[in-house]
Amino acid sequence: MTDTSKTVLSIAGLRKSFGANEVLRGIDLAASDGDVISMIGASGSGKSTLLRCIPMLEIPDAGTVGVGEDRVSPRGGRLTRAEEATVRRMRCQLGFVFQNFNLWPHRTVLENVIEAPLFVQGRARSEAVDEAMALLDKVGLAAKRDAYPAHLSGGQQQRVAIARALAQHPRAILFDEPTSALDPELVGEVLKVIRSLAEEGRTMLIVTHEMGFAREVSSRVVFLHQGHIEEDGTPAEVFGAPKSERARAFLASHFDRNRQG
Amino acid sequence: MDLSFIGTMFLRILGGLPLTLNLWGLSLLGGAILALGLNLLRTTRVGDKVASAYVFVFRGTPLLIQIFMIYFGLAGFGFIRHSVLWPFLREPYWCGLLALVLNDAAYTSEILRGGLRAVPRGAVEAGRVSGMSRFTILRRITLPLAIRQALPAYSSEVISMLKATALVSTITLMDMTGIARAAISETWRAVEILLSAAAIYLALSLIVTQLSVWIERRLSPWQFQRTNR
Repeated sequence: MTDTSKTVLSIAGLRKSFGANEVLRGIDLAASDGDVISMIGASGSGKSTLLRCIPMLEIPDAGTVGVGEDRVSPRGGRLTRAEEATVRRMRCQLGFVFQNFNLWPHRTVLENVIEAPLFVQGRARSEAVDEAMALLDKVGLAAKRDAYPAHLSGGQQQRVAIARALAQHPRAILFDEPTSALDPELVGEVLKVIRSLAEEGRTMLIVTHEMGFAREVSSRVVFLHQGHIEEDGTPAEVFGAPKSERARAFLASHFDRNRQG
Repeated sequence: MDLSFIGTMFLRILGGLPLTLNLWGLSLLGGAILALGLNLLRTTRVGDKVASAYVFVFRGTPLLIQIFMIYFGLAGFGFIRHSVLWPFLREPYWCGLLALVLNDAAYTSEILRGGLRAVPRGAVEAGRVSGMSRFTILRRITLPLAIRQALPAYSSEVISMLKATALVSTITLMDMTGIARAAISETWRAVEILLSAAAIYLALSLIVTQLSVWIERRLSPWQFQRTNR
């Protein structure tokens, strides 16, 4: 199915519990270069936890996560020193966009974008600034370079966060419900940026509740239910002819709500 | 009131300003370093207990007693009199400074702890996913945000420490208060002398207040400026 030589991201046998609550019950997923994978499912289905396990923001109880040439299989909910170094290499190859933007409030827009290039990758300042300005221009915020996050709208903050993720030269970008914290009128501007990234052929994993958007931009859609992957296919397959009863019910309720809303 | 007498006393008390500034500055510096250490200690379970006990003891007892314990009390231990530290610990200056540092560290570590707790989790997570090491996160994200948060409370601590330095006059040191006390016992004109000393402390406090507002504005400009979106 997927060409393994170009696998950017791989997840195998991933399990994660919070106390007695088993959130992920053995997840296998791989993304190849250029894949745009949307992950959908009811809240509590484990999709955000799955995404957060990839850069080890949550440390899985079992399973393996691989990014590029690096992979880790942490045990016992902790990372060893060697694993920590591997995880940092993996993180450097990923971009992560949070639901709540998580910009650094004490740094300007430009400083947010050049932070990792300067202080993680050790690049030259002038080069990092030039590139950051090009990225800010791309998300339509070059004029805001000296503004602080507190003075931006949610949509603007999320676009800066996307520019910040791109500045790391990621091999894959992970989006954790990127529009869920936004006022409805600001959702469009963020989706537009993500869509343009899909068109560039970037590898992306997107946890989202925007079904119309998922259908339109994804090359693959994954439906999670109670910590399992219940559906995995093209948008036409998953949205058009879902195999499982649960996916049908979920999609029906979602499209109903959209029509009413 | 005799203005020329006040003027003379004012100048005489100013002679103690270098020692007051010295004790004040060094105790803040030492206290800040120790406070950072105490907070790093808190990341382990045993260390957290140690830090809590330290804060409990030094915040829960009078500074004057701490100064006396170090100056008069330590000499009672033979092993201290025979240690390499004795040349320092028999000097009132070093005893006073040590007590001030230890006391300031207890308060400052609590102020810093409050600042650290207020750092948004998301800001730290954003640092982690960008590949930052723990040290880089501390240096670039956690501490800068914690310090901004702690600044108003810390400026009070800085003023408290200025006034606390006056207590070293009880162990023979001639700081501004020490000189004032000596002058009172010579002249018996307490009011003019104490007013002169108080005016100098007040002026220093004013500088701290103004400086802290200025630093706050510089470090957190987004809290003070208004811009259109």
